[in-house]
Amino acid sequence: MLTRRNLFKQSAFSAITMLALESCYSSPEIPPAPDGLGHDFEFLTLADRGILSKLAPVILAEGLPTSEEQKALVIKEIIVGWDIAVNGLPLLTQAEIRKLFSVLDSNFILSLTPRLLTGVPAAWDDSKEIDEFLNNWRFSDPKSLITGNELRVGYMGMVEITMACWYANPRSWDFCGYTGPPVL
Amino acid sequence: MSKKQNKIHDFVAEGFEQGWKHLDSSQLTSEKTLETDVVVIGSGAGGGNAAEILAKEGLSVIVIEEGPLHTAKDFHMKEDEAYSELYQESAARQTKDRGIKIFQGRMVGGGTGINWTASFRTPPTTLNYWTKEMDVKGFSVDEMQPWFEWAEKRYKIQEWTDSPNANNSTLEKGCEKLGISWGKISRNVSGCLNLGYCGTGCPVNAKQSTLVTSIPGALKAGAMLISKARAETFDLRKGNIVQLKCRAMNARGNSPSDQLIKIKARHYVLASGAIGSPAILLRSESKSLNPHGLVGTRTFLHPVNISGAIMPFPVNGEYGAPQTSYSDHYVDTRIDNKKPGFKLECPPLQPMLVATTLDGHGKTHAEIMKQRPFLQVLIALQRDGFHPESTGGKVYLKSDGTPGLDYPVSNYVWKGIRDAFLAMAEIQFAAGAKAVAPVHRDAGIYSSPREVKHAIAGLPMEILKARLFSAHVMGGCPMGEDPVKSVVNSNGRHHEVENLSVFDGSIFPTSIGANPMETIFASTAKFAGDLAREMIN
Ligand SMILES: Cc1cc2nc3c(=O)[nH]c(=O)nc-3n(C[C@H](O)[C@H](O)[C@H](O)COP(=O)(O)OP(=O)(O)OC[C@H]3O[C@@H](n4cnc5c(N)ncnc54)[C@H](O)[C@@H]3O)c2cc1C
Ligand code: SF4
Repeated sequence: MLTRRNLFKQSAFSAITMLALESCYSSPEIPPAPDGLGHDFEFLTLADRGILSKLAPVILAEGLPTSEEQKALVIKEIIVGWDIAVNGLPLLTQAEIRKLFSVLDSNFILSLTPRLLTGVPAAWDDSKEIDEFLNNWRFSDPKSLITGNELRVGYMGMVEITMACWYANPRSWDFCGYTGPPVL
Repeated sequence: MSKKQNKIHDFVAEGFEQGWKHLDSSQLTSEKTLETDVVVIGSGAGGGNAAEILAKEGLSVIVIEEGPLHTAKDFHMKEDEAYSELYQESAARQTKDRGIKIFQGRMVGGGTGINWTASFRTPPTTLNYWTKEMDVKGFSVDEMQPWFEWAEKRYKIQEWTDSPNANNSTLEKGCEKLGISWGKISRNVSGCLNLGYCGTGCPVNAKQSTLVTSIPGALKAGAMLISKARAETFDLRKGNIVQLKCRAMNARGNSPSDQLIKIKARHYVLASGAIGSPAILLRSESKSLNPHGLVGTRTFLHPVNISGAIMPFPVNGEYGAPQTSYSDHYVDTRIDNKKPGFKLECPPLQPMLVATTLDGHGKTHAEIMKQRPFLQVLIALQRDGFHPESTGGKVYLKSDGTPGLDYPVSNYVWKGIRDAFLAMAEIQFAAGAKAVAPVHRDAGIYSSPREVKHAIAGLPMEILKARLFSAHVMGGCPMGEDPVKSVVNSNGRHHEVENLSVFDGSIFPTSIGANPMETIFASTAKFAGDLAREMIN
């Protein structure tokens, strides 16, 4: 789903820039947010949730259930877990994560420069491209003169919260051979 | 936490039901002013311990704690719950450059509520160093001996005689094979069921944290506990503290509300731990509290790097007492500090901790998670602070007044980290590992000692590449007899402000070189007794 903000950005800029860049990038659309299992989201926006729904399967890869139906469900749970986890963090840390999402959400046409630097995928439905983007951030130079340590730190934060939300979930425990807390 | 409760007899919860004085400040609806003989700020190893000693001497005591009151019945051995409720910054605290992840407790009981129960006396070499190099008095091996004995009795610190879990026995076996020394770790437990969930709060009150020992002791002696209250600043008049200002935390516990709590005391005992205690002094912005700008300096971490191994047998390191074996071979053989020394231990291996500690994502990460039951993990703790290049970090205040730590890893410590990667891999292969993976962004998984040795030699020892951790934050209010070079004297008393003491892990002038809890119990018992006698007379 395109958010209203993104629609506005597109209409204002599409005429000139789309033409010039169409050949390099595919559609920059933010993926639609999956339903939130009735959770009342406080931190994550629809756009964040859409992006996470695309990132999580690439981050967790074979760790996720193989059945498409189960996978779709646990991704929703992971996204709910994300919201709960971030809500408990200090407000300054929340602000940093908000900044991170704003880089990820940014429609590339409006924020061309940061997008080129950050390499956020243009097509959020191409898992190979997402993997490439994650690896670019992962192996970015923590002492980069242009982006500082932000990409590496952003990668670590993104991946860590996603891992935490999944491997705390009892549905992941079969996969990682964990029989859960002992019964007292 | 969810409302579901363990079926365990929880005498701490009962004590509160039966009238121990406790105020959960997130429930406050109006400003509060209280008066007392002593206010103890923080309820961890130092604070809980001191509170009991002071209260039993007949002084009126208020304990202020930023974290929540949770007791055994609330501990469900669930990682997500525990890390977000019981750890500082949801277990996501980091150094300024994000290079080191810092674990600290934030609950009634502080670090002792979620720590791994490894109990060591302060190594004699550390005590000697303080005496000779740091101008500390009263901390010789002989002078400390009775205090260690006292702490061992109070907190039931005993040799752990049960057989180790396979994570720990692999460390033992590897050391045996290589002919290097190793030992068994004593633990502060009583009736331990060997569950392995010390890090998420002991569900059966076996761990002798301050939550189940000295805090109940203090409350029985009439002390009052105020939870979910963050001490913010001291107000001073004529060089003495006249009041402590606290703010109630919101129900979620991640930021303060508008509700003020003011405490007027005869004496103020700062026990908010390293990073926490210096932060309160820095926020107070008083020249008397920080006359030489030393507050927050010399903060040490025992920076930890990690090596994972895939064993040919199931390890299941999530179960069984987490930390029962160690090797000091690389401490003992490097005590001249020409090469950096490090201690080798094991961590618990519950899945969330494992998944968030590994670097990377996707297929490779998932493959390791799939083999997690076979995963054996060693950690190396660098002995920082004993070399001119190893001066530790500095606590600073962020824009919202909460503390951060700037800890640049010195080249000296990096050398130790590289050596530790190799030492851990050698032990793991000697114990029969099929493959070893140093936890480093640029490392792979290696199936022979030769391969791993070659790889480690080429790994960049740089921040955010080697993954570093700390569960032992120490220093920041260093003690010593010279008021120009230290913040408190060798009795934990502030050099300049007479009615202020610091009784926690922030007073250490170097790292301990071993897990710090017992050193904190022993030193703060010594200090608190002296303070009580002085206040009573
Ligand atoms: C996961 C983990 C495992 C560990 N394992 C071991 C082990 O096996 N053996 C060992 O010896 N050590 C271990 N440690 C370290 C040990 O627990 C600490 O060194 C010790 O608890 C420190 O004691 P302290 O009194 O200095 O501070 P803490 O125990 O950290 O207590 C300080 C308390 O003050 C509170 N506080 C902070 N700021 C404020 C404020 N402004 N107002 C009010 N309250 C405040 C905090 O919430 C906290 O509860 C471990 C630590 C962790 C995190
Ligand atoms: S190992 Fe022992 S002390 Fe630790 S949580 Fe289990 S029962 Fe408690």
